Amino acid sequence: MNFEDLQKTWQSQDAFVKATINADLVLQEVRRNQRQFGATIFWRDVREVGVAFLMTACFIYVAVKTHQWGAGATALACFWVGVFMLVDRRLQHRQRPNANASLRACIEISLFQVNHQIRLLKNIFWWYLLPLAIGVGVWIINVSWEIPPQGRLSRVELAGLLLGSSVIICGLTFWLVFWLNQFAVRNDLEPRRKELETLLASLK
Amino acid sequence: MTALEQETIFRRWLEAHVGLVLKVVRGCTAVTQDQDDLFQDVLLNVWSSIPAFRGEAKETTWIYRVAFNTALAWRRVERRRRQGHETYVKFDVSPKLQPSHLDLQSEQEIVTQLYAAIRQLPKVDASLALMHLDGLSYSEMADVLGISENYIGVKLNRIRKQLAEQLKGVSNEL
Repeated sequence: MNFEDLQKTWQSQDAFVKATINADLVLQEVRRNQRQFGATIFWRDVREVGVAFLMTACFIYVAVKTHQWGAGATALACFWVGVFMLVDRRLQHRQRPNANASLRACIEISLFQVNHQIRLLKNIFWWYLLPLAIGVGVWIINVSWEIPPQGRLSRVELAGLLLGSSVIICGLTFWLVFWLNQFAVRNDLEPRRKELETLLASLK
Repeated sequence: MTALEQETIFRRWLEAHVGLVLKVVRGCTAVTQDQDDLFQDVLLNVWSSIPAFRGEAKETTWIYRVAFNTALAWRRVERRRRQGHETYVKFDVSPKLQPSHLDLQSEQEIVTQLYAAIRQLPKVDASLALMHLDGLSYSEMADVLGISENYIGVKLNRIRKQLAEQLKGVSNEL
């Protein structure tokens, strides 16, 4: 059997593969999936960006209610994070590959997106953790400064205690966030990038 | 494009090109449930791509692009299982053969082996093999993959050799 025969055999498979399709059900399923996909993307954005803006509102409320200007700094940090994520999402949304683009174009865009995501997570300290750390830090200093002496502890001792414990708790939390993101880069994004690079190389 | 036009095109494509989608799906995975998932993902993307279809590309080329791009992304993401959805498509890969179709049985076996061989190939090569076997021209394949026709020729020579290696006994003249 030569290749042409093999081709004929291959093309004859329509004779023994019989597909019975319920087109109405397919349409129904496809529309349901499309709605589900749209909802997933929408709620992901709401979850990540919405939480940042909600926190902004909460800290503004605290700042106004308690007259602690430090809470305003935290609100500003949350607002910055929310705006950063929102702008990044909008910009990345424009870079989404078309399902009908050529395979090579699709891989190139996917690779661009993965590289962007890696850069974003590797630099999470600069755009997420540091602004929040500064915001929270300013607020804690503000609270520590205003704390009245209690019992045998002087104001300075209490401020030191609050500052110290806050630094430890926030430090651990921020370190955990940083570690989780680097873990995602190592275990998910880097292998994906390698896979895409291999695919792209096989098209060159 | 109105929703009705989109639906009309989708129904027509479904009827005319479901075999093409099935070939891509079977060329990607041998697991029935995965085939079902991927099949549905391809159909979803075909549906979404219809408003962008201007008729400049051939329908088959268009659907190949969508199917391969979906298959590529589908392999990367964590495989998810859809639970409880109704069966809207039934595939009978081995309908009862009439005595006059005895050749069909051996043809079916060859095709099954071919699918197994295609699944062993790297992803891009598997895509090329599927299109080549379906009789697409070099320019159509180049259009789907976004590479030059010359390179298609070089790659196909290699793919034929690889397929021949894996199909030893079925064909020695590839």
